[in-house]
Amino acid sequence: MTITWTNFFVQVIAFGILYLLLSKYAFGPLFGIMEKRRQLVKEQIDTAERNRSESERFLEEQKQSLQQARKEAYDIIEQAKSTGSKQADDIIAAARGESSRLKEEAVRDIEAEKNKAIASLKSEVGGLSVQIASKILEKQVDAGAQGELVDQYLKDVGKKS
Amino acid sequence: MKGVKSTNMDHLAPIVILGGVKFDLAAIIMVIVTSIVAFVLARLSVRNLSVDNPGKLQNFMEWVVEFVSNIIGMATDFKRGRVYLSLGLTLIIYIFIGNMLGLPFNFITEAHGHATFLGMDLFMNGEEEAHFAWWKSPTADAAMTMGLALTVIVISHIQGFRHNRKHYLKHYFEPWPFFFPINLIETVAKPLTLGLRLFGNIYAGEVMIGVILGMGWVGIPALLVWQGFSIFVGAIQAFVFTMLTMVYIGQASIHEEDH
Repeated sequence: MTITWTNFFVQVIAFGILYLLLSKYAFGPLFGIMEKRRQLVKEQIDTAERNRSESERFLEEQKQSLQQARKEAYDIIEQAKSTGSKQADDIIAAARGESSRLKEEAVRDIEAEKNKAIASLKSEVGGLSVQIASKILEKQVDAGAQGELVDQYLKDVGKKS
Repeated sequence: MKGVKSTNMDHLAPIVILGGVKFDLAAIIMVIVTSIVAFVLARLSVRNLSVDNPGKLQNFMEWVVEFVSNIIGMATDFKRGRVYLSLGLTLIIYIFIGNMLGLPFNFITEAHGHATFLGMDLFMNGEEEAHFAWWKSPTADAAMTMGLALTVIVISHIQGFRHNRKHYLKHYFEPWPFFFPINLIETVAKPLTLGLRLFGNIYAGEVMIGVILGMGWVGIPALLVWQGFSIFVGAIQAFVFTMLTMVYIGQASIHEEDH
């Protein structure tokens, strides 16, 4: 093993040249690309983070609006219920009034018809009784007494009417 | 695999002498090959860069970047150590590829009396016959690992002096001023251990491969096991070198306020 001292300088110079060449033509571009990728990843992480917070916000909004919609729906149902029951009450009340009115009317009509019937019955009974009486009297009463009775009767009739 | 006939003779490095200065052709070739492999690999991995659909090689290279980032994060503060990311990446890729290149094969020429390469005389060390090894890990050479080690240690000292001057100068005299010689020794020992650790591991691995090859056919299972282990060692050493680089730079140049 002999040591050749020029190897020392050969090595130093060659290494220096290799260092410069590699730095310029290989590592420079490589570092640039790696830095770019780092930026890209950072950007993407930022974007993802932003998207996440945004979606969270949206979700919150959606939840709130859903809650609100639910509440509104509940209110509407409640209102509808109360309106419905009120209307039902009204309808029932109206129906009740109507029915009572109809009943009264009917009662009145019945009363009137009854009165009318009674009146016509009375007159009929009067006529019939007169006829019956006249039939009976025709046989027993003579003309003089008959005349007297007729007068009497006419007088009564005149009184009654 | 190894075109070796006998391991009795030491393989010589193919050295040429230019203007009185020795140059190791194998080392130069291997440094260039390693650098080209590293560069091509890195270029291929960034050929079709894509943010959202990275290819396999890009994924792999990004994994390496993350790995080195973690090393820096462990050794110092990543935010301030970020400027050393390229350095750490170059180190770990270069050293790892260098460690691996020496493993799979060797390329040896035999010379008798006289050898030339591109018209240049190879240094034969005065021998009549020599085997030249043309292929080895660039990290299996002490001078070259020391080159790497000193480079990063010098960087750590310069950065310490520039960015953290007060604490950098003070740390030579801590905990007490008479510790200065010890701190000085530590300063000298740092690049030595850093460079020689890498060299020792990889060189030992290659020597061991040579020894196993000397066993002939019997050594094939051992060779397989040892090469597997060498891959492991090579990866670990690349990691350790990068880690220690970052630790040293961090110690020197980054002062922790709460400290």
